[in-house]
Amino acid sequence: MTSVETKKELNDEFSGIKYILTSGMRSKLLLAMYGNRKNLDELRNELKKPSATILHGLKELENINLIKKVQKYYELTSNGYLLTTNMVKLIENWYAVNKSKLFWNSHDLSGIPDEILNDVYLLKNAEYVTSTTSDLSNAYNTYIKLISKSRELKIIFPIYSESLLKHLIKLLKGNNLKKLELITNEEIFNSINANDTFKKELLNNKKVKIKCIEKKLKIFLTQGDGFMAMTLFFKDGHYDDSQVLIAKDSNAQKWAKMLKKIY
Amino acid sequence: MNINNDINNDMKFLAKSEIRLKILSELNNGPDNVRGIVKKTNITYSSVSSNISKLEKNNYITKVDNKYYINPMTQVYFKTLMDFKNSVQIVNNYNAFWNKHNLNQLNISAIKRLTDLKNSELIETTPIDIYKTHNTIKDQILNSTNIHAIFPYIHPEYPKLIEEVLENEGSVELIVPQSIFKEMTFRINENIRKNAIRNGKLKVYSFKKDLNLYLTICDENMSLGLFKNDGSFDQNRILISTDIKSCKWAKNLFEDVKKEVR
Repeated sequence: MTSVETKKELNDEFSGIKYILTSGMRSKLLLAMYGNRKNLDELRNELKKPSATILHGLKELENINLIKKVQKYYELTSNGYLLTTNMVKLIENWYAVNKSKLFWNSHDLSGIPDEILNDVYLLKNAEYVTSTTSDLSNAYNTYIKLISKSRELKIIFPIYSESLLKHLIKLLKGNNLKKLELITNEEIFNSINANDTFKKELLNNKKVKIKCIEKKLKIFLTQGDGFMAMTLFFKDGHYDDSQVLIAKDSNAQKWAKMLKKIY
Repeated sequence: MNINNDINNDMKFLAKSEIRLKILSELNNGPDNVRGIVKKTNITYSSVSSNISKLEKNNYITKVDNKYYINPMTQVYFKTLMDFKNSVQIVNNYNAFWNKHNLNQLNISAIKRLTDLKNSELIETTPIDIYKTHNTIKDQILNSTNIHAIFPYIHPEYPKLIEEVLENEGSVELIVPQSIFKEMTFRINENIRKNAIRNGKLKVYSFKKDLNLYLTICDENMSLGLFKNDGSFDQNRILISTDIKSCKWAKNLFEDVKKEVR
């Protein structure tokens, strides 16, 4: 048997989540009242459970001061509102990664700091594009098409890819791209510098700003006009260009902006 | 809002057992085997072993060469679950601060980042020190050169405090309700005020709607005060913090309220 002390330590360490999250009734009631106060009839219709069950759940939540009854209506207390807002965030966080399970589960996430990962719900509208055996460069081509119309690109650039660099140069010579910002590390910077064409067209180009940082880069992140795109590395350290996560909504762009700020 | 069934099951499975959470917390720090986890956690071998196999069977962890690795998605699940736990703790730890208080002025993004307030301290007045909250804020302001503040009411000392900051080459940015805008501005010494406004050192914004929030952001600390549900300001409690994250949280909130000024 695990000792009583160890059990108590464990309970303290993870206190506060079990009571709410493991009861379908309690969490559903909180979610039902989130945004709007409800009376018993409304709750019964929404949760499709008998009054007795619902009243029991309501009593439990009232006892821990998460909800209160005002006349015939049940509503969240201020504590209940804070907790439920954060529970919604948790559910949305899980939803966002669950939706692109294959993408998230096959990659090394160490390039995304915890505080940014905690806001991954902002990516709930993101979709990932994957290469298939019949189209090995589907992800890459989708990405290239995406960046081609942008007037401004900000890229965390963790790999030395000649084909991508060549494409960026092509875009810089075209009419659309006015500003290119690259964040990279010394190793990759030196490789770019060692290539005469890249040196001339990128390093000596007024439209291009390159920032070198010492951190190990484990993420390929692009911010462009109205989109963000992200590719990651496999757990074994290899770069994966076969899957790219793309989002065009403002929340995802906000997420990318927060992430870039850290680098 | 409905919870998707997959997520609901994952959530129940992980949140139900403190032992599983502890195992994930260890594996989140690095791969390990059963024996290693037993040693680090003091949980019995049989409990660790049976929960490890449940976690493996349900694809939360993977065994490679005798060691267990947390799957990336489980990592996100675990970290965000701990973030939720921390937010619950902040609600509970500062219960007296939140309970029966009006949170309308705190926007959703501020509440979703409640964990940024983790290292705060609740300051409450006591019968022998009834000015404790005010004096704490006063000290913060006088030791600071850059002040951002939302004042929902005028304390007789505020104009003087602002003058002192401005006289020491500091800058002050204020958001006040329309009802006290004139009073607040004109009580600041005319010369100092005009000079500061000209040099961009003093900015006062008038807030048209109700302003149910008290907030100061100084050089190295922040303080937050709330109104009670009955409509009166709670002068007896403030939440203060010197933590960078809390100050950033407060600054974001300030900027969001400022957007509503125009």
